[in-house]
Amino acid sequence: MWFARMWEVLVLGLKNLLRNKLRSFLTMLGMIFGVGSVIAMLSVGAGARHEILTRIQELGVRNIILNSVKPPEEVKPDSSEQTWRVSFGLTFEDAEAIDATVPAVDRILRVNRIKKRAWYGSKRLETSVLGVEPEYLRMFNLEVGAGRPFNETDARDRAKVCLVRRGLIRQLETIEDPVGMWLLIGDFSFQIIGVLADEQFRSHTRKALAIDGRAQEVYIPYSTSMRTFGTITHIERSGSSEYSQTDLDQIVVTTKESDDVFPTARVLDALLTHHHDRRDFEIVVPMELMRQRENTQKVFSIVMILIASISLLVGGIGIANIMLATITERTKEIGIRRACGARRRDIVVQFLTETTAIAAIGGLFGCLFGIAGTLGIVEFTQWKALIAPHYVGISLVISCTVGILFGIFPARRAALMDPITALRRE
Amino acid sequence: MPIVHLEGIEKDYGTGDGALTVLKDVSLDIEEGEFIAIVGASGSGKTTLMNILGCLDRPTRGRYELSGTDVSKLGDDRLSRIRGKSIGFVFQSFNLIAQLSVLENVELPLFYDRVTKAERRRRCLALLDAVGLSHRLKHYPTQLSGGECQRVAIARALAVEPAMLLTDEPTGNLDSKNGEEVLKLFHDLHREGRTIVMVTHNPEIAGGLPRVVEMHDGRLSERVTESA
Repeated sequence: MWFARMWEVLVLGLKNLLRNKLRSFLTMLGMIFGVGSVIAMLSVGAGARHEILTRIQELGVRNIILNSVKPPEEVKPDSSEQTWRVSFGLTFEDAEAIDATVPAVDRILRVNRIKKRAWYGSKRLETSVLGVEPEYLRMFNLEVGAGRPFNETDARDRAKVCLVRRGLIRQLETIEDPVGMWLLIGDFSFQIIGVLADEQFRSHTRKALAIDGRAQEVYIPYSTSMRTFGTITHIERSGSSEYSQTDLDQIVVTTKESDDVFPTARVLDALLTHHHDRRDFEIVVPMELMRQRENTQKVFSIVMILIASISLLVGGIGIANIMLATITERTKEIGIRRACGARRRDIVVQFLTETTAIAAIGGLFGCLFGIAGTLGIVEFTQWKALIAPHYVGISLVISCTVGILFGIFPARRAALMDPITALRRE
Repeated sequence: MPIVHLEGIEKDYGTGDGALTVLKDVSLDIEEGEFIAIVGASGSGKTTLMNILGCLDRPTRGRYELSGTDVSKLGDDRLSRIRGKSIGFVFQSFNLIAQLSVLENVELPLFYDRVTKAERRRRCLALLDAVGLSHRLKHYPTQLSGGECQRVAIARALAVEPAMLLTDEPTGNLDSKNGEEVLKLFHDLHREGRTIVMVTHNPEIAGGLPRVVEMHDGRLSERVTESA
């Protein structure tokens, strides 16, 4: 019974809206833009959040990455000398100490990096050679496109095998299949056993972690790297040469639980600070980066919510304004209804139904508009966006709320009119 | 028990020293089945009296009993319900809602009286048939002649089976032929036993009615007619 009556009121309201199509449409515009911007904001925001999550999973939530950092140039021992040697960075002792003493550590991966000149046939390449343990590839999602990844045998035998980036192959401008071919790194020949798939992710995060897929990177087993190249990098500059000695360029620490990440990072910082007399290392916590990104995202979301709220506010005011005009026009009708037994609340319900209906319809159109807008944004900016089915529901809830909020004032005004005056109005 | 029992009704407009008393000590009883005219010059207070009779307005002082219920102190919601249930209005300017069809206009008081849609339709079809408008159900008021509009208004007033029909110059906007027809309809309704209160300043119409009361400067006086 109640439902049937509400349905009748709704049908009546819709008829009234249809009677003045242009005006109804113009009234709806505010809601269309308001809800549209909310939907666009939601889907772009969700897309960004999803991207951050994907990246963090790719870097490992449980990981802490320690990098060796060359400290600021020290005073050269003697300006007359043409050759000097610097020693900095993470040491084997550090790695052992971490493994032995830090409780929450699940395992650690050692990474050695040397800059070497390499030759592929007659082509010269400047490469950065990374000595990595087999798990490294999996941990950082480095997929082998062609050929095979490292295995335990490679590591045990200190095999002279390497993995290269597709970008490097591109640089070689060769049409032959590089797998099985030989790459001369320094003075040693390495067999190319695989080509890494194109890096799918090129993000600031990865760049910050120095794992951005630069084409010059060549991966060899850690054990091979230690045996063959050792820990000294030799850099020659115009006339002078510099030997820098770094035991480990990177240590990837994996904690047992993701909750352990921040405490462990602090422990590692204390440990390393204790062992090193200068700050020649950095600690990168992917989770921390994610938090920072999330905070940026939050600020962005707040700004967007503000903008969307303003357009919703404007839309609501538009509705209230038109309803006030409508009520003035329909004063006589209100008087007649009151004379026929309508209570004040019947009048309120009637006009609230109209504002809510117009807002809800505007909201649905706004939802479509928002989805279209999101697709447009994605097309132009290459941002990622997520459009979820429940956005239709959100649009309806938002627009109905706006409709009711901004309908109350005009509806009350209609209801409080004196029936005698209303009846007399022509 | 009279349908209407007015006792010492007074109505002030404004407050304090500037207050204007429009109705002064009005007392009136209307029995069931009466057809009574309220006459008077404009400004005599007859419209105010009609508004009070129709529960559109409340008296400042005095007691108004409608069908035995004191309605002079009721709140807005209760008055609305009483208007919807017990009073059928017929106005000079018809007061039909232009956006609603003839049938929907007649159904209006029943909607607010919470009658189901099917029942509403049944009763309203019968009423429109009775006023000779069953061929105009889907028409809109703007498509009807004045006489037809007033007959729709009468059908609407009868829809809730009101205790009293309250009508204000029902023939004022009609030509003489249509006016006569509408008047005849009221006489027919009177013969069926309905209570009708008609406000008019037309002495010719008032003259044909069994009972006439006259408003003069806010006071009510009975005019005795021979035909009564």
